[in-house]
Amino acid sequence: MDVLYSTFSFLYQSGDAFAFLVLSACGLAVIFGMMGVINLAHGEFILCGAYVSTSATHMGLPLPLAIALGAGVAGLIGMLLERLIVRHLYLRPLDTIVATWGISMIATQGTLIVLGSTMQGTGTPFGSFMVGNYSYSVYRIVLMGMALATLAALWLVFTRTRFGVLARATIQVPHIAQALGVNTGLIYSLTFGLGAALAGLAGGLYAPTMTLVPTMGSAFIVEAFVTVVIGGADIFLGTAPAAAILGVVKAALTSWQGQLAGQIGMLLAVIIVIRILPRGISGWILKERA
Amino acid sequence: MALLSRITSILTLLEGPQTLGRGRRFWAGFALVVAAASAYPLFADGYDVGNNVYFFNWIFMALGLCLIWGYGGSLSFGQTAFFGIAGYAYGVLTINLGDAYGLTLLALVAAVLISAVCAAILGYFLFFGRISGVFLGIVTLSVTLVMERFISQTAGPEWHIGTARLNGFNGMGAMPSLTIPWPGGPIVLFPDVALYYATLVLLILVYLGLRVLVNSRFGNVIVAIRENPQRAEMLGYDVRKYQLGTFIIGSSLAGLSGVLYTSWGNYITPASMGMTAASLPIVWVAVGGRSDLTTTLFGTLLVLIGFQALTIYGSQYALVVMGALLVLTVLVAPRGIVASAVSLASKRWTRKKAQSGEVS
Amino acid sequence: MPILETRALNKWFGGLHVTGGVDFALETGEMHCLIGPNGAGKSTFFRLILGEHLPTSGQILYNSHDITLTKSYERIRHGISVKFQVPGIFKALNVAQNIQIALQHHVAPAELDHEIDLLLNFLNLKPVARQLAGNLSHGQKQWLEIGMAVGLKPKLLLLDEPTAGMTPDETFATGEMLQALNREGVTVLAVEHDMAFVRQIAHRVTVLHLGKIFAQGTIDEIVANEQVAAIYLGEAHAQ
Repeated sequence: MDVLYSTFSFLYQSGDAFAFLVLSACGLAVIFGMMGVINLAHGEFILCGAYVSTSATHMGLPLPLAIALGAGVAGLIGMLLERLIVRHLYLRPLDTIVATWGISMIATQGTLIVLGSTMQGTGTPFGSFMVGNYSYSVYRIVLMGMALATLAALWLVFTRTRFGVLARATIQVPHIAQALGVNTGLIYSLTFGLGAALAGLAGGLYAPTMTLVPTMGSAFIVEAFVTVVIGGADIFLGTAPAAAILGVVKAALTSWQGQLAGQIGMLLAVIIVIRILPRGISGWILKERA
Repeated sequence: MALLSRITSILTLLEGPQTLGRGRRFWAGFALVVAAASAYPLFADGYDVGNNVYFFNWIFMALGLCLIWGYGGSLSFGQTAFFGIAGYAYGVLTINLGDAYGLTLLALVAAVLISAVCAAILGYFLFFGRISGVFLGIVTLSVTLVMERFISQTAGPEWHIGTARLNGFNGMGAMPSLTIPWPGGPIVLFPDVALYYATLVLLILVYLGLRVLVNSRFGNVIVAIRENPQRAEMLGYDVRKYQLGTFIIGSSLAGLSGVLYTSWGNYITPASMGMTAASLPIVWVAVGGRSDLTTTLFGTLLVLIGFQALTIYGSQYALVVMGALLVLTVLVAPRGIVASAVSLASKRWTRKKAQSGEVS
Repeated sequence: MPILETRALNKWFGGLHVTGGVDFALETGEMHCLIGPNGAGKSTFFRLILGEHLPTSGQILYNSHDITLTKSYERIRHGISVKFQVPGIFKALNVAQNIQIALQHHVAPAELDHEIDLLLNFLNLKPVARQLAGNLSHGQKQWLEIGMAVGLKPKLLLLDEPTAGMTPDETFATGEMLQALNREGVTVLAVEHDMAFVRQIAHRVTVLHLGKIFAQGTIDEIVANEQVAAIYLGEAHAQ
């Protein structure tokens, strides 16, 4: 029995890490994969999702609706920022990173000024269950389900909807898409908004499990960065497998040496892997198809 | 004789197409600025002078980033990691070794070397993996953030190296200041006039050294790689080695900043490697004008002084202004606000001269 | 003896067979043109020789040494040089510095300035030596690009459409310059569309089609070859 229990424990931890990596990274990956832009304000969209959904819960909105609201608000702000700032920088991807970093500074410190150094949380819902001698959080299982559901939903969006097809066309050959009458400006704006909304979703989903502080975004971004770096530009061939592999690595190191070792080990793994697979997992899978 | 001609040929590299400012007028201005900076302690209180060394401490890191980012075209967002590594290394070394016999100076050199070695290891994986601009930025940023988290949790007594405790998020303190052994008794570089002059001399040397470097053959190649890495490779250069070399030099300068800062305040915290700390060098260099050493130097000083002035209202307000400044710079003056101002002024100047030439 | 040889050189991009078992030999001292319709695999073949792509299988020999896995910059240092179609000059450096970069790793420091001067005079770029390369006219950029390729003192010069965008006069002058280099012992391999130019310089011509060598011979033999005409015509019909 002990073997079964510890197997379950390891699977649970890997699944938890996988969910965290997928949810943290998919917003960043959508924007990077489609536009080649790394959004350094990613953590602040997560913050936005967390704060909005928590406030909504405090006002009595049910949790799922509150989380959806958080994602929606983050998405709208994302579209707005795309219009105001990011749009002017598409020919200078490196400058986009710098500009989004500026946005991130304003957002973090602005939140600190306006809302103070912390916000009251809501507590984790659904309680826990026992396997062997350990108790596990039901909500964490829900998060794992949400990670898979998010991937499935993105798959449907990019393969089955008009927006998805146009978006992929725009990304592959922007000038042709434009010549064919695609409103590429709108596509970019929607893509950026989608990425921001996914970040907001991650924030809303994890808000009940963590301390809400203005710098909470930075708890997500290292994981998001390494998943995107190691995954490469494609969400389904890159981000998801990268999250799965890193999830196992992180869970193994965490159960062996603690949380921080998991993080350090993951970063080291990434630095070594990029030496071998510079274009990430998706680049390796799509090897030289270009 | 050979040595003399060698020296003159190096001196001619002080000016060149890679650096703004040439000719009598520029060097006269340079001498004037140096003279003013040297005279400043005569007119100010020793305590203020020592405090203001703080501004100089950061400029080394800014110049290093200017080299890596502006000249080399590699986005490094994690220079603070090397700042922190060297700062902590200096603390650990000096707490263990003490400040007699010039050992603090040895610790300075050793700490900078340690940061250089760390940069070499990280840079090897990045550049030899041919990591592109965007990813380079986020990997280096991740490294500094993870370093911050690592040091932050070393508060317990089990985290010590020799007699030096790392102290976690509380920060490490009580390391001795840099001390120069001297026949009449050692000169301790407290934040005072002596430290001011020592740092000023170091700053001038580094600035001039970097001018020579970027105008040298090495400098030509790193700028060429920034412009067109494929073509540089097809002219017979191992692009990866040049990028790595640039990264190591720039990161050592971040390390030097770390040592000077730690020695100046006898204190270093993990926050010096955090997200906020990592963003500031980007602001200094971007606002000043990353493609030139001189604009970076003045931009850094201006932004630092402005930041300090704003901190009266609270550091969070100052940081909002810094963020806005960064966004504005990228949108309005991508070459940097100081650099744009300089080129605007010089255009005005030449036009005026042309007009007056016509009249006479 | 061939200066460059490829043996059963294959390159697959995913499911696409862009270089299909090419056995090619370039004799030392010859001027050789590579022609073929769009998509024939000419630029991939160039990139394989330069080491920008690694072949899926096969061998590349340079002066009888296997360089199949040699790094690009090392191939350059062994005497291969390339001029790209789009001028790959360094816009933020001045003209003299551009030339210097091509020279500085193989010219002794004491002679560097003199050599730069010689090359600038040769290229008629002396008056603009201190200007940023980005401010040159299109023709001057092409000359600078050629100057950088030549400045490496190559034994083998690869040219990707060297006359693209040039007037007939400029094209002819470029041809004469290449012939002058050839007389000094430089082997030349050029991808070219301009048949007048090919006729002016080529000792031999190779036609690539669908990643394979389709025909080889003198320009007159190639022009007389009806099958070669057919593949070009076929393309014309397809358009």
